[in-house]
Amino acid sequence: MAVEVLLPKIGLTMQEGTIDEWLVPTGAAVAEGDALLRLATDKVDVDVEAEAGGLFHPVVQAGATVPAGTLIGWLLAEGEQPPEATGVPTPAGSGAVRGTSALAAAGGGSAGTADMSAAVGGAGAPADHGGTGAAPAPVGTGGRLLSSPYARRVAAAVGVELTAVRGSGPGGRIVSEDVEEFFEALPEAPVMPVPQEATPSSPLVRKLAKERGIDLSEVNGTGPGGRVRRSDLDAATAAPVRRNAAPRPGDVLPLTGMRGTIARRMHASLQEMAQLTHGYEVRMDAVVSLRRRLKEEWADAELPVPGLGDFVLKAAALALREHPLLNATVLDDGIHLLDGIHLGFAVAVPGGLMVPVIEDAAALPLHEIARRSKELAQTAREGRISLAQLEGATFTVTSLGGYGVDFFTPVINPGNVGILGVGRLRDGVEWVEDRPLRTRVLTLSLTFDHRAVDGAPAAEYLRTVGELLGKPLRLLV
Amino acid sequence: MMAQRASTASKKSPQVSTAVIRDLHERMVRIRLFETEAGKLMEAGKLPGFLHLYVGQEAVAAGVMTALRDDDQITSTHRGHGHAVAKGVGFRAMYAELYGRVTGACLGRGGSMHINDLTRGMLGANGIVGAGVPIAVGAAFAARYKGEDSVAVTFFGDGSTNIGAFHEGANMAAILGLPVVFVCENNGYAEFTPQSGHMLLTDVADRAAAYGMPSVIVDGMDAVAVHRAATDAVARARSGAGPMMIEAKTYRYFDHQGVKGLRHPYRSDEEVAEWKARDPIDLIETRALADGTATRAELDDVWQRTRDEIAEAIAYAEASPLPDPADLLLNVYSG
Amino acid sequence: MTTTTEAPAATRKLTYVKAFNEGLAQAMREDENVFVAGEDVAGYGGVFRMFDNLLDEFGPRRMIDTPISEAALVGLGVGAAARGLRPVVDLMFMDFIGVCLDQIVNQAAKMKYMFGGALSVPLTITTASGAGLGAAAQHSQSLEAWLAHVPGLKVVMPCDAYTAKGLTVSAIRDDNPVVVMLNKVLLGSTGEVPEEIYGIPLGQAHTARQGSDVTVIALGRMVGEALAAADELAAEGVEIEVIDPRTVQPLDTETMFASVRRTNRVLVVHEAVTFGGLGAEIAAQIQDVVFDYLDAPVLRIGAPFSPVPFSPVLEKAYVPDRARIAQGCRRLLERS
Repeated sequence: MAVEVLLPKIGLTMQEGTIDEWLVPTGAAVAEGDALLRLATDKVDVDVEAEAGGLFHPVVQAGATVPAGTLIGWLLAEGEQPPEATGVPTPAGSGAVRGTSALAAAGGGSAGTADMSAAVGGAGAPADHGGTGAAPAPVGTGGRLLSSPYARRVAAAVGVELTAVRGSGPGGRIVSEDVEEFFEALPEAPVMPVPQEATPSSPLVRKLAKERGIDLSEVNGTGPGGRVRRSDLDAATAAPVRRNAAPRPGDVLPLTGMRGTIARRMHASLQEMAQLTHGYEVRMDAVVSLRRRLKEEWADAELPVPGLGDFVLKAAALALREHPLLNATVLDDGIHLLDGIHLGFAVAVPGGLMVPVIEDAAALPLHEIARRSKELAQTAREGRISLAQLEGATFTVTSLGGYGVDFFTPVINPGNVGILGVGRLRDGVEWVEDRPLRTRVLTLSLTFDHRAVDGAPAAEYLRTVGELLGKPLRLLV
Repeated sequence: MMAQRASTASKKSPQVSTAVIRDLHERMVRIRLFETEAGKLMEAGKLPGFLHLYVGQEAVAAGVMTALRDDDQITSTHRGHGHAVAKGVGFRAMYAELYGRVTGACLGRGGSMHINDLTRGMLGANGIVGAGVPIAVGAAFAARYKGEDSVAVTFFGDGSTNIGAFHEGANMAAILGLPVVFVCENNGYAEFTPQSGHMLLTDVADRAAAYGMPSVIVDGMDAVAVHRAATDAVARARSGAGPMMIEAKTYRYFDHQGVKGLRHPYRSDEEVAEWKARDPIDLIETRALADGTATRAELDDVWQRTRDEIAEAIAYAEASPLPDPADLLLNVYSG
Repeated sequence: MTTTTEAPAATRKLTYVKAFNEGLAQAMREDENVFVAGEDVAGYGGVFRMFDNLLDEFGPRRMIDTPISEAALVGLGVGAAARGLRPVVDLMFMDFIGVCLDQIVNQAAKMKYMFGGALSVPLTITTASGAGLGAAAQHSQSLEAWLAHVPGLKVVMPCDAYTAKGLTVSAIRDDNPVVVMLNKVLLGSTGEVPEEIYGIPLGQAHTARQGSDVTVIALGRMVGEALAAADELAAEGVEIEVIDPRTVQPLDTETMFASVRRTNRVLVVHEAVTFGGLGAEIAAQIQDVVFDYLDAPVLRIGAPFSPVPFSPVLEKAYVPDRARIAQGCRRLLERS
């Protein structure tokens, strides 16, 4: 039975992906769960596992960039030839691996078994109506999104748009696990208010746990009702992070993986947008003294004391409320002002950088921003970050202050219209009448997309950020 | 074993008393008036559902029931009002049931074909032809099991002796030696089909021989003859000698259903007139007046008292509350 | 009245048929009004040895051999029940209800209702159902759906020795007509059975195995097959919950709903043909009440729409088994 390998759609925004590398040679036997390829998306690179066993037969070459849902390979039985890939429309958003023949055939060869499949489907079913997996493709569903009742219930409960979810059930039907996994991939999931009694884990998770020799009861489940999710399992096993060895002269560093992703995205950003940068000095005295006080007062409160960067994050987010033009995305049909303010912040990691996202940053108290930024940065540096934690930024803040940089020209993350660079905290001078006064300042570097934002509104945004940093008590809540 | 003729059977029976004659008369009048009034109400559109009227056959119910005790059990047929009235079921409960009122014999859940009164040993009319026969066998079994000496009587028509339940029940009662009296009310028609069209036998009673059961044929228009035959059969059953069958040749005046029914002729006027000329109530009144058992005034008084009682019962039924649809599921299950 | 759901301590292994026999005997000792009537139930002890030794203990007054007259037999039960006895009538093979259905459906089931509640019909009908013995089309059917469709009747389907005894006792004690569908293939199976008399509540399902991934609702003999399928699936990391309704009329749907709310996937399996079977009713009720908890359509597994075949190879293919149940569960869980 030939099983299709389709390029998976990972996460909300992925349109296409690049096959960085096939991890198994052509013709090799793979087991279900074996890593099949390294996939580079516009966010991260991930290993994609085979969801069935078989002899691997690629259809596209490594390096190819193809839309999600494209047939990229086959898993074949011994002696089997890859089927002609004709006549079977591949629905967008359908599963990564899908059986092409009813599993009924695998159930046994007796005439009786074949008859049984009709009985499974109900008497009167004329032919092979039963068996397993011969569900109709969503062709002819009139564009109706196939989803199970429970998936809809869960989606409604957690506020997930089903159109964003990839269906893994028969015929591409979205089932509750799809919603849960999607939801899990969103940052900071609230407790899912779905009635669940005792559902400790999914079959897949149990299977993986068994393979990895993990006792599930030891794993901290973060799913609804304490359900152990795949990511919990990954966290528990501390999947090894590939780290680039220190490059040496003579090395050729391939533009693959994170390096390739960064290269493509940054290049695309500068190609697509009309970017320019304002520099703007802001006074940080009030922030510095407030931070000093917080250090003392919060010492016993178990609250993370916000760093300078956290103050800037909060100020940047609040200022976006007043300047929605900076919190936008440019699409073919125009400039879309976005509802939520979700701040990405750049974190340098071995081999490159990542941009984790703090959702609804304007609404969060400063200590919460501090907590999240710290956790996300740590997670990113340890290579444990999930794709979901990297998705959905509407504006980005990046800091090179720690490296002694005062002013720079950050490059906008594709999909945003602005990025705020934070420079080094340094001494400044304020003239009070004729006497110089030592102050604390830093320079903000705002790169903006002139297609969406003109120079004056960009400067007004910077002024608002500066005012907020000048009176930082507002930033606390 | 051939069926006995009542002419021979009755010679061995004791003469019936004055009280029995009066009893037979009164029970027949009660049936006649109950049924004719019910027929009028139905034709007037006041009663929902079917009505299989017993008029013409009164002598059979009266004759058998006067041979029974209150603790003797009967199972009846779709044409069951006569049996119920003769067994002592009250007019109020019966009319209220025909009206579908909650005060009816079945709380308005059964209607004409399920009238019952367990306190009177009336185990129910039955909408399924022949179905009452095995139930009577079971009732007789219960009586013997409990060491009681009550008997069970099952009424059925000529048509129902073609159905399996009758034959199975007759054989079961015979082989188990149970105190069951089989009373076939042969009114000559299985619904609209004459007896000659549904069996080759002239006498249904001959079927009893197939089960080793004695039988007797009586004039079903003669209440006294029926009473005598029933008295013999009941005594025999009560004594433990096993079941027996009585075939009462009788006639229904009205249609299979309702009074005039579908008005589709299947019997000649002459045939109907011939039977009516031997009307069972006329017969017993003539006999009572002739031998001085009763005066005309006494007989008329029975009619009048009964009419009054019926008028009151109909008024009661019409004034009774309808069942509450909220109680739709009442009594589907016990407990 | 002893009513327990779980086996008390003092148990020992008994066969299904002996457990039934013991429950019946104990019920007869408990209530003088209980008697047994049927074909070859007294002298011969029943063709399946269901009534072994009962004639010796209870005598011919309470153990009655009858002619082959199912209509009269059930009618006798109805009449005797109407007069206050607690008859147990045996139909030998369930297929034979065709010749006495009127007494079951129009008399026993409806009498209390039609009579305005004037009486009860505490009648127990015992019968052997199910395929698997090469008994062919007229001696192998599972016709619970016919009976469960009739208001006034109760229908129980013991799946093992424990339920064979407890459900039989409860059927006899119940004031309604109850059909006890024993399963022929299970007659010789053994299980732990308490020594004392006990009843199993009618209309109360039993969760035979707990699981989180698929709810399998199995009737009668299919309970054992479902449990075997559960073992097979557990090795694959799939935990199925097996619910034994025990009584199909009344049907304990609440237990099913609660399970579906947790598992979101349901399979119903019975020996009877799928079309119009209990699976259809259960599926309909589930979609009616817990539609929003379903991740897949309710899957029914039953026999194909054909009479029960004779030849063992055909019969084996006809009756659902653990492999088909496991297959069905995989199908419900299938994700790409």
